[in-house]
Amino acid sequence: MERKLTRFAAARMASAFGSGRGAQLGPLRLVDTAPPSIPSQDWFAVAPLLSGICGSDLASVDGRSSLYFEDIVSFPFILGHEIVGTMVDDGIAADGSALTKGQRVVIQPVLGCVARGLEPCDACRSGEVGRCGCLSHGHLKPGLQTGFCHDTGGGWSDGHLVAHASQIFAVPDSLGDDDAVTVEPMACAIHAALRAQAGADDTVAIIGAGTLGLGVTAAFGFLADTGRAQRPARLLVAARYPVQRQMAAKLGAQVVDPGHLDRAVRSATSSLVVGRPSGRGGLLSGGADVTIDCVGSAESIAEALRITRPGGRVVLVGMPAKVTVDLAPLWHREIELVGAYAYGSEDVAAGSEVTFDLAIEMAGSLHTGRLVSAAYSLDRFEEALAHAGSAGPRGAIKIVFDVRPKRAVTQRED
Amino acid sequence: MRPRPGFVLEVDRSTPPTLMWKGEGFGLVKLPVGSRVVYAPEPFEALDDPEGAIRHALEHPTGESEPLSALLRPGMTLTICFDDISLPLPPMEAPDIRQMIIEAVLDEAASAGVDDVVLIAALALHRRMTEPELRHALGDRVYDAFAPHGLLLQHDAEDPSNLIHLGVTKHGEDVEINKRAAESDLLVYVNINLVAMDGGHKSVATGLASYKSLRHHHNPETMTHSKSFMDAPASELHSANWRMGRLIRDAGVKIFQIETTLNTDTFPGNFQFLQKREWEWSLKDRATFLAASKALDAAPPKMARQILHSIKAPHALRSVYAGEVEAVHEKITADVWAQQGVAVAGQTDIVTMGLPYISPYNVNSILNPILVACLGLGYFFNLYRGKPVVREGGVAILFHPTRPEFHPGHHPSYIDFFEQVLTETTDPVVMHEQFEEAFATDPWYIHLYRTGHAYHGVHPFYMWYWCSHAMKHLGRVIIVGGDPATVRRMGFHPASTLDDALEMAKDVVGPDPTLTHLHTPPLLLADVT
Amino acid sequence: MSSKALRRLGAARFPLSRPTWPTSVPRPAKVRRVGLDYDTGWSRRYPARLARAVITDNLTVPLTRLVAPAVIEGAAALERTKGPVIIAANHSSHADTGVLIAALPLHLRHKVVVAAASDYFFDTPLKATMAALVLGAIPIERTKVSRRSAASALELLADGWSVIIYPEGGRTPDGWMHDFKGGAAFLSVRSGAPVIPVFLEGTARVLPKRPVEKGDAPGGSGSESRSSGRLRRAPVSVLIGRALTPDDGEDARSFGPRIEAAVAELGREAATDYWTARRSPDPELTHGPEAAPWRRTWALPAPRTVAERQPLPDWPERS
Repeated sequence: MERKLTRFAAARMASAFGSGRGAQLGPLRLVDTAPPSIPSQDWFAVAPLLSGICGSDLASVDGRSSLYFEDIVSFPFILGHEIVGTMVDDGIAADGSALTKGQRVVIQPVLGCVARGLEPCDACRSGEVGRCGCLSHGHLKPGLQTGFCHDTGGGWSDGHLVAHASQIFAVPDSLGDDDAVTVEPMACAIHAALRAQAGADDTVAIIGAGTLGLGVTAAFGFLADTGRAQRPARLLVAARYPVQRQMAAKLGAQVVDPGHLDRAVRSATSSLVVGRPSGRGGLLSGGADVTIDCVGSAESIAEALRITRPGGRVVLVGMPAKVTVDLAPLWHREIELVGAYAYGSEDVAAGSEVTFDLAIEMAGSLHTGRLVSAAYSLDRFEEALAHAGSAGPRGAIKIVFDVRPKRAVTQRED
Repeated sequence: MRPRPGFVLEVDRSTPPTLMWKGEGFGLVKLPVGSRVVYAPEPFEALDDPEGAIRHALEHPTGESEPLSALLRPGMTLTICFDDISLPLPPMEAPDIRQMIIEAVLDEAASAGVDDVVLIAALALHRRMTEPELRHALGDRVYDAFAPHGLLLQHDAEDPSNLIHLGVTKHGEDVEINKRAAESDLLVYVNINLVAMDGGHKSVATGLASYKSLRHHHNPETMTHSKSFMDAPASELHSANWRMGRLIRDAGVKIFQIETTLNTDTFPGNFQFLQKREWEWSLKDRATFLAASKALDAAPPKMARQILHSIKAPHALRSVYAGEVEAVHEKITADVWAQQGVAVAGQTDIVTMGLPYISPYNVNSILNPILVACLGLGYFFNLYRGKPVVREGGVAILFHPTRPEFHPGHHPSYIDFFEQVLTETTDPVVMHEQFEEAFATDPWYIHLYRTGHAYHGVHPFYMWYWCSHAMKHLGRVIIVGGDPATVRRMGFHPASTLDDALEMAKDVVGPDPTLTHLHTPPLLLADVT
Repeated sequence: MSSKALRRLGAARFPLSRPTWPTSVPRPAKVRRVGLDYDTGWSRRYPARLARAVITDNLTVPLTRLVAPAVIEGAAALERTKGPVIIAANHSSHADTGVLIAALPLHLRHKVVVAAASDYFFDTPLKATMAALVLGAIPIERTKVSRRSAASALELLADGWSVIIYPEGGRTPDGWMHDFKGGAAFLSVRSGAPVIPVFLEGTARVLPKRPVEKGDAPGGSGSESRSSGRLRRAPVSVLIGRALTPDDGEDARSFGPRIEAAVAELGREAATDYWTARRSPDPELTHGPEAAPWRRTWALPAPRTVAERQPLPDWPERS
């Protein structure tokens, strides 16, 4: 990624034709460049194997990201923060165990105080590294995550990147590469599911059934199955495309058409529609206890506010940019609007656990590698991004780059 | 010329193509040689003096009843109940028969000095009628005399303060009906007997009942054993209603039943060709057909609906009886059969039906997919006495576009039924057990039913149960021209043409099937031997 | 002008805007001269009379004749009258005044005031001004004769102004005539002006009074019911009776029923014919049967209000 305003503008225009289209004209280029150097001790080189394409990556490529991120990224940088890779040399993992050369690891990409060589801030000290605010200080250039920082490199590379010991988690042999590459998004999903604080009698509505929507659906099941959290009474997932609907149904959710989510929530909670005999676009008298918005658009946030009961909670998981939303229902119905960004440690029934550990366990038990629909080589990045940008209609969920040496590019069907 | 009776035509090489309704439009379809087409009898002559006939009926009651004038006295409470928007089809040209009868009853009541009179639309779980619809059914004179004083009511099956539980039949069926009607000194019920299943004890026991009472006979079990609804002795639905009706009578509710038959004059003026036999179409008929069918095909569905729903039928009063429920009903049902009955010899492998734009539940509304199923499999399939026109394991071929369109104001629970229930199951028994309760008690549907113009939440289930006898009897249901995803969701098979449909049917009934087409509307009742 | 500029204008301070009142200084009560206190004197001075004459002759009368073509009977009796009269009519519609004014001969038409309910026509300054200007209305109470309004009406009669008064005290709620209040008789006894009884038939078809909605109206959910009556063209009849004057020594209490009887007789004439009306003083013909509300409505003479077809609701798209 380069910082060239003309290219951002071009990408912005191109993305009007579809998400991911900015790749052709935009700030993203495929270049040969020297691998990043080791910044200090406890940093190790990791060679990526697979690296996923995230919605936030598409927003960057298309120039649609919020200007908010301006000061916590450093150009030029290599994208890719959903990474499974191998250790280039021996090293140390986040839990202090030793890693040998060639061992598979996943990267927890947040670049918090410890990685930056700072005294840990309050958030980092309590393990909530996702909430670290010191993302532009220390001995690294600004960057909220690996994949947005000039000094660390990123996953969309066939060279290597550098990661701090606190970022490195060993991958058990039972996990395939596909499963491992979904650990990072699953960690987000687990975090979001726990942010929902849903009780056993609650109705949870999930808007969007991409990687995150399905991940959150899966996380509710995983957390309940392992006794870490309560299983909500009802889980409604608004899924548009057949592959999403099948997957959500397999994960045990009640699948609804996105156009009928409000009606489904209404009948699931026996609510009334306020005014509007036609029931279209009206406010519900009750509604979902928790709504999880995995889209992050103005429409999805507005719908979430409409279908959430007074005093309920809306969790924003999908990355929003600048949106225009009528907040009158938020004020009047005293709805909590909370963000769910990333991970760190979670308070679960058994105490505090590291999100990435949970995600690795979940990826293994549910085989979340099922979500990976297609893999591309780096030189076909435009196609890959276009595919990721239209994943739903093209029957895909997660698109990844495959940078494993000497391997033919494969396209897998579900 | 005396109207000609209905008959069964055998299609030969010189038979012109057959008129086929397909929702908001119609076309001509060439049926295979050897097929049979059942034509309805021609409409009977209208009565010369309908007002006189009504007065005569009121003063010369049928069965054990005094004349109406002898039943009226000052200081009594009188409640007049009438059939709702679902009858007749299409709505009749003004003056509506209900208006004529109610005006005659009110004239009697006024001259007898009866002050406490209330009019109630016997909706059961149907939608409330709008003001223009009430004005059309009752006339402005009646509307203006009663509505402003709050004396024109619509039955509310969800208003506990206005329901009364009269008892339990020996089959364990609760009988709970409108309190005002039950507690009146006299209950006058004004019926339109459009088909043979209307009227009798069903008028009060169903039209004025609550959900608690209706669920005893509106369920898959009863509906499967109603063979058919048009043949009361063979209809479990009617047996249950008769049990309830007798309980109502024995509970002391005094009912003066007025039943009427209309002739089957269904289409006005220029649209008369729709009820003529194709080989008798004149030049003008053919020109009108071409213009109308092309225009309706070209018009957006919304506009086509508007045009068709503006048609008012020139139905005319054929007979009227008043007095004791069962005696009146027996005479009227015989009249209905006389007008509509057609003798059909033997069953057939395949039955075809062109579904028109209207059913009892979508007057001024949209024939949504669930109502399509109900119209074809609930109504048309059941237009028989003896045995169904199609043999067991046979195939029904319906013609209708079956678009997933719903009227959100009239059919709100249908939308959720389509999205939430039909995606899970199409088995009436399963949905009865798993989903009915939630829909029937949903507060929003109840709110819309009571205050808006919405059918009750449970109504789509009843529509589906209406089909249960047909679904059990038939080997396959094919909808020609139907939206594939919608048709499949309902468990039926879509086909693009009749030929495709026949090929698909042959997989079920074998090669060289026999085919019978029901040429309706106008209404007919097949007497199958 | 941009909204910003507008806002700046609105934010202008004293002395550019009105001064605010110091909190510690008590404010005098606000004086609103409406209702009975509304002074209509201005509306009878020359400029207002001229304006009203123009409006009456060019707007009120032609429009009234357009929507309510009238059959007028007995107008000759009015032509002969000199000086001020009291016109007592039954009241079933807001169209009554227009129909009545259009039926008056010119010498009365331009020198007449209408006694109008102070609580309805004079409740806001704007309505009061319009009523006074267009109709020449003066405020009175509906139910009784107060000294003040009586005094002002007597003053007007003394000045040569005729007065239109609806002794029922308001439009009929059910289409039938209701008992007369004593105002017309009182004014006649005190001023000596003759009373002209008038019966207006059919005006409720032109501009019906909004029906009383009891509980939930069947069909229609609340507000959509036939709220304010809609104007529609219909023929009307104006039956004008012979002038009545109080006998010597007759007081308002005995003169009042004579006025009512005269109007009722004209009403019977409208329902039947001149001869029958005079032969059978059947009160049911004008006051309706003593029975339940529906029977009173049921017995109203035909033709009744012509219902207008309401358009069917729009077809919604698939939801």
